[in-house]
Amino acid sequence: MIALQHYLAVSAVLFSLGMLGILTRRNAVNVLMGVELVLNSANLNLVAFSRFGPGNLQGQLFAVFVIVIAAAEVAVALAIVLTLYRLRRTPNLDEADILRG
Amino acid sequence: MQDVLTSVKWFEPELILTGVLLLVVLVDSTLAAWRNVAARVLTVGGLLLALVRVVELRGVSGEIFSGMAVVDPLASFFKALLIGASLLVILAFTFRNSRELHGLGQGEFYALMLAVTISNVLMATANDLAMLYLALEMVSITSYVMVAYMKGDRMSNEASLKYILFGAVSTGTMLYGLSLLYGLTGNTSLPAIRDFLAAGLTDANRLAVYAIALLVFAGFGFKTAAVPFHFWCPDVYQGAPTPVTAFLSVAPKAAGFAIMMRFFYQGLATPRAGPWDLVGTIDWARVLILVSVLTMTVGNVAALTQTNMKRLLAYSSIAHAGYIMMGVVALSQNGARALMIYLLAYLVMNLGAFLVVTLVHLHEGTFDLRDYPGLYRRSPFLTLAMAVFLLSLMGIPPLVGFMGKLYVFAAIVERGPSYFWYAAVGAVNAAIAAYYYARILKTMIIDTPPAEKPPLRLAFADATWVSLLLAANVLPLLWWARIEASLSLYAGR
Amino acid sequence: MSAEAAVFYLFAAVTVASGAVVVLARSLIYSAFALLFTFFGVAGLYVLLGADFLAATQLLIYVGGILVLLLFGVMLTHKLYDLDLRSEVTQFLPGIIVATGLILILASPVRWPLDLRGLMFRTQWAVGAGRPPAATTAEIGQLFMGRYLLPFEAASILLLVALMGAAMIVRRRKDA
Repeated sequence: MIALQHYLAVSAVLFSLGMLGILTRRNAVNVLMGVELVLNSANLNLVAFSRFGPGNLQGQLFAVFVIVIAAAEVAVALAIVLTLYRLRRTPNLDEADILRG
Repeated sequence: MQDVLTSVKWFEPELILTGVLLLVVLVDSTLAAWRNVAARVLTVGGLLLALVRVVELRGVSGEIFSGMAVVDPLASFFKALLIGASLLVILAFTFRNSRELHGLGQGEFYALMLAVTISNVLMATANDLAMLYLALEMVSITSYVMVAYMKGDRMSNEASLKYILFGAVSTGTMLYGLSLLYGLTGNTSLPAIRDFLAAGLTDANRLAVYAIALLVFAGFGFKTAAVPFHFWCPDVYQGAPTPVTAFLSVAPKAAGFAIMMRFFYQGLATPRAGPWDLVGTIDWARVLILVSVLTMTVGNVAALTQTNMKRLLAYSSIAHAGYIMMGVVALSQNGARALMIYLLAYLVMNLGAFLVVTLVHLHEGTFDLRDYPGLYRRSPFLTLAMAVFLLSLMGIPPLVGFMGKLYVFAAIVERGPSYFWYAAVGAVNAAIAAYYYARILKTMIIDTPPAEKPPLRLAFADATWVSLLLAANVLPLLWWARIEASLSLYAGR
Repeated sequence: MSAEAAVFYLFAAVTVASGAVVVLARSLIYSAFALLFTFFGVAGLYVLLGADFLAATQLLIYVGGILVLLLFGVMLTHKLYDLDLRSEVTQFLPGIIVATGLILILASPVRWPLDLRGLMFRTQWAVGAGRPPAATTAEIGQLFMGRYLLPFEAASILLLVALMGAAMIVRRRKDA
């Protein structure tokens, strides 16, 4: 029998992997992939709680909004990555360094 | 159906803003010669109308849209503050007096300002975790676009990229915390969550609540630029066009504090006269005190060595977030009122300082403090204005900045002797801050410039807005009893 | 092992393994394609959880939209003849330590000899009657027009702003 905790464990691992990607990657697009893993893990939580909890659909609806927000965020982020690449020809984060103080 | 109709009536300010947003987008796409003027007039008119409706609706109280949002005195105050902040920024900072915005498309800027205002207001009134997260992300995503408004500018785009990556990570972490909160309580509605927590917690669940609090605070900390989620702040404030910086330093921060208050007000505490009880015996305040102390100290110490005015004001705004948080920590009606007074004062003093920085940049093309010597002889009026704004930020009586500090410190001291050290740390910090504000004053007034430059002439409109902000820093003291009384009403006393 | 368990472990393994590849692969293209499998794995778990609408949304928006955008991002920020789209890694050891710590805090299964269970196993979640798997689309649609009317409409403003903003940022300046 697969219980709630099984799904939570998968989500915890996915969250940790996302954080690992965010912490170790230099490429902006790669960091965004890490963020997507984190968002997916949170969504998995929401849906699992919705299924095993008091039986309301609140978790699922929350998850739908998260997906919409993620799409909007990625669209804006990539627009900026592309503009920046056009301006200085690198997608790496630590070469974005005129702002220092 | 009845519920939706009533909700719509109480939701009118937001609807007005949405309507104007769509109109501005339409007008901008006509490509007619008058579209810039029309967009500006529409935006200012829409914000004014919304502000009037907010004031008219200040008496109502209740949940709207099936409990997704809430209308109450606290929400009304923040709505007025947030709409007012947008209005002030649009009126005082224009495409003419900002060298950075000069020549860029205007319609999109006004549309973005309206969108971020709606999002701010939604954030301040959110009453459900889904709504809270959505509104927070709406504010963030609109802000990212505003920071990148100078299209061909590398600095502006770099700032935006840092903002967006930092923001995505913080809000992602927050979302993970919110999902666990839903799992723990089985509900996403804030009042239902409070009822659940108030019923008492087992030891194992208390641990989960602490973890959730930590995760959720990543989002609040990011919005209010509190340590340790402040790293984006100096870079973003420096890279963004100055009007956007000025706006970001007041409005989203205020909205962040609104949602933080709401989380306590409706999620975790029982509001009543005197100190509030925390539900479920969770001592949140201790964690927040630590964050607040770190925030003001880090902000002030880092500001000491800055020479770029925008960066300096960025660190100063981090420090002010630390003081404002004292109002949240006090967790009482007086704390809520102190928070409101501080945010109002911070609005007029910080916008004033940024306006002077913008005007100096317009005439001199520099944000560097090393180019400020001799300003006193070249424009006594601008120097006087800057001096008042800085003294107000310092917290010198009888300016509004002093009143803000007075009320937050009073609210803290009121909580008893165990809070005295916290107030003392705040006082020491105010002294450190006085040093770097005074350094700017000394540079402007005493230091001798390397070369004599001609007097700096201000346009009439700019001089008017500087004077109005100046008056807003000095004059409120005349009607203080009245202001205090009406703010007490909003704090629910 | 029941059929449900078998399917769960299959999807869980796909999700976690491809998630690891996303994070650890040296090549951006490998990461992007591994992300495809992660999204599929999560969609499979949604189906197991009885969230049919959400599984379809996941496939349409994440795989059809977000992943394609990310791939565009990878392709457009590298020269086309640049075959190994490498993504450099920094601070690998601290990252591994943090991630391992997170997994242990959240989902450590150790119960014996000491009770070191992670948060996920220790906490008493609000487990109730639950929701037997059944079609959810109709109900979700009604909720969008009812209880969730406000966020539903607010999301449309968000999409408008994102669309406008992304177009504005990428458009070249006229004088440039």
